[in-house]
Amino acid sequence: MSMDIRKIKKLIEMLQESDLTEIEVTEGEEAVRISRKSSNDIVVEKPTSQRKVEATVSTETRETLVSGSKTITSPIVGTFYRRPAPDKDPYVKVGDVIDAGQIVCIVEAMKMMNEIKSEFSGKIVSIEVEDGEPVQFSQDLITLE
Amino acid sequence: MSKKVLIANRGEISLRAIRACKELGLKTVCIYSEGDKELKSLRFSDESVCVGPADPTKSYLDAPTILSAADVTGSDAIYPGYGFLAEDHSFAEQCNLSGFKFIGPSSQTIRQMGDKITAKSIVTKYGIDGVPGFDNELPDNEQEILKIADEIGYPLIVKATAGGGGRGMKIVRSSKELINSVQIAKQEALNGFGNDVVYFEKFIENPRHIEIQVVGDGKGNAIHLGTRDCSIQRRHQKLIEEAPARDVNKKKLDEVLKNCVNLCKDLNYEGVGTLEFLYEKECFYFLEMNTRIQVEHPVTEMITGFDLVKAQLRIALDMPMTLNQSNINFRGHAIECRINAEDSVNFIPNPGKITRMHIPGGFGIRYDSHIYNGYEVPPYYDSMLAKIITLAGSRKSAIKRMLSALDEFFIEGIQTTHQFHQKMLKDEKFIKNQHTINYLENEFLKNA
Repeated sequence: MSMDIRKIKKLIEMLQESDLTEIEVTEGEEAVRISRKSSNDIVVEKPTSQRKVEATVSTETRETLVSGSKTITSPIVGTFYRRPAPDKDPYVKVGDVIDAGQIVCIVEAMKMMNEIKSEFSGKIVSIEVEDGEPVQFSQDLITLE
Repeated sequence: MSKKVLIANRGEISLRAIRACKELGLKTVCIYSEGDKELKSLRFSDESVCVGPADPTKSYLDAPTILSAADVTGSDAIYPGYGFLAEDHSFAEQCNLSGFKFIGPSSQTIRQMGDKITAKSIVTKYGIDGVPGFDNELPDNEQEILKIADEIGYPLIVKATAGGGGRGMKIVRSSKELINSVQIAKQEALNGFGNDVVYFEKFIENPRHIEIQVVGDGKGNAIHLGTRDCSIQRRHQKLIEEAPARDVNKKKLDEVLKNCVNLCKDLNYEGVGTLEFLYEKECFYFLEMNTRIQVEHPVTEMITGFDLVKAQLRIALDMPMTLNQSNINFRGHAIECRINAEDSVNFIPNPGKITRMHIPGGFGIRYDSHIYNGYEVPPYYDSMLAKIITLAGSRKSAIKRMLSALDEFFIEGIQTTHQFHQKMLKDEKFIKNQHTINYLENEFLKNA
């Protein structure tokens, strides 16, 4: 599916927040249909082809993740990098136990590299952004437990 | 590949810009603060970027964060709107240096016109004069002082250089009172500010506020789009605006229009701008020039059919655009009411949640707004909610149409200036077009 994954995520949110059962969006030659099968399950598919991508979003699982976890969010707008330089190792990876104040990533804004320090200590559960992706203010970067 | 415009503003003007960009086939990115994250109009832009917390100094006024947002989205140009960084010459310069076209005049023009003293010295070369006065230190000789006052004309104000905010000012109505008033003013200034230097300025007692819309292509061509009358003001904030300004001396007006256009041509003025004047006894006194789009631009658009925001975009992005004065026709009369989240009697700001609302419509009625049912009016920004604009064949008809629109329109959940507008549009002095900039505060509100 070549349509931007962020756009699809946004469409899923819109569907969840509304009473609609289905949204279909066409962008140029690309189309995607998102429909609600039951109150919890949402299916994302390409209406013009056989391929179906199932993205089951269950509210229960999200709640378990949220309780007891901490998230490092971006304090600025910029581009997220996991490594201090392309040829170096990432600052952290999933499973690492880190201390508060430890540098976890870089967000680059207008050619200035800003080292992001974790406010919390804990174990890294997931990294929410792909290396090199743009991030906005208060966007989730890294989740800890 | 179509160009991408980052809209560095919020509320109704950002929606206005999204609409204009869409019509021109431009891609849009809207910035927003956390205080605006629920704003539904953000969904009309192609992309949106959260740039900071609700505090405007950390979001809408934060140049580095806005430039960073333009960078990560690959934007080509930045639309500043009005307020915030729209007249910040160093922001304009930073945009252009960073490779994002600032949609507006050059940084130099913004800087020159932003400084009242420099602006006055520039426009005076084109026959555009400010309020007459004598800025230099007054001579000690009484005869000379009287002569200077005679040249300015009465009534005049004696002002303390160190004063401000209405303090250290004396109004003088005839030469008989002059010397005495100067002596008292000097004494009061010395006591109040430790400095007895005073200067003279003609006292414009009861003027109208009349402004002139100009557009320049940045290459030496410029046109005017006529006048607006914005005399209904409270604490220098406009509440009702109209186009054109009626009952103005035509000969004087033609002269001022010509001078404004010549000024813009010589400055190679790029984009839209407004020259603001006080008008009294058939004389125009220059106040200042705003090098941006104004809130009240819709009234000019309605009487000319000229889309000012699309013009800004076209000019900045080198899209085909011809500015031809002979193509500009004025037809009818337009009025705008600014509906604010303020109490209709005391004008106390009223943020809160809109629980029910209805938008007016029909022939000759335009509604520019970002609000909707369920919207939480944030307390961090200005209180403007919506602009209702009517266009009709005459001023009388435009007023009637506005009253009809105001009857249909309602907002519940918060207090708004809705009722104030309804009262003013029925006011006899307003209907006769006899009001001035002092009318609202000095008479209308006192009689209420």
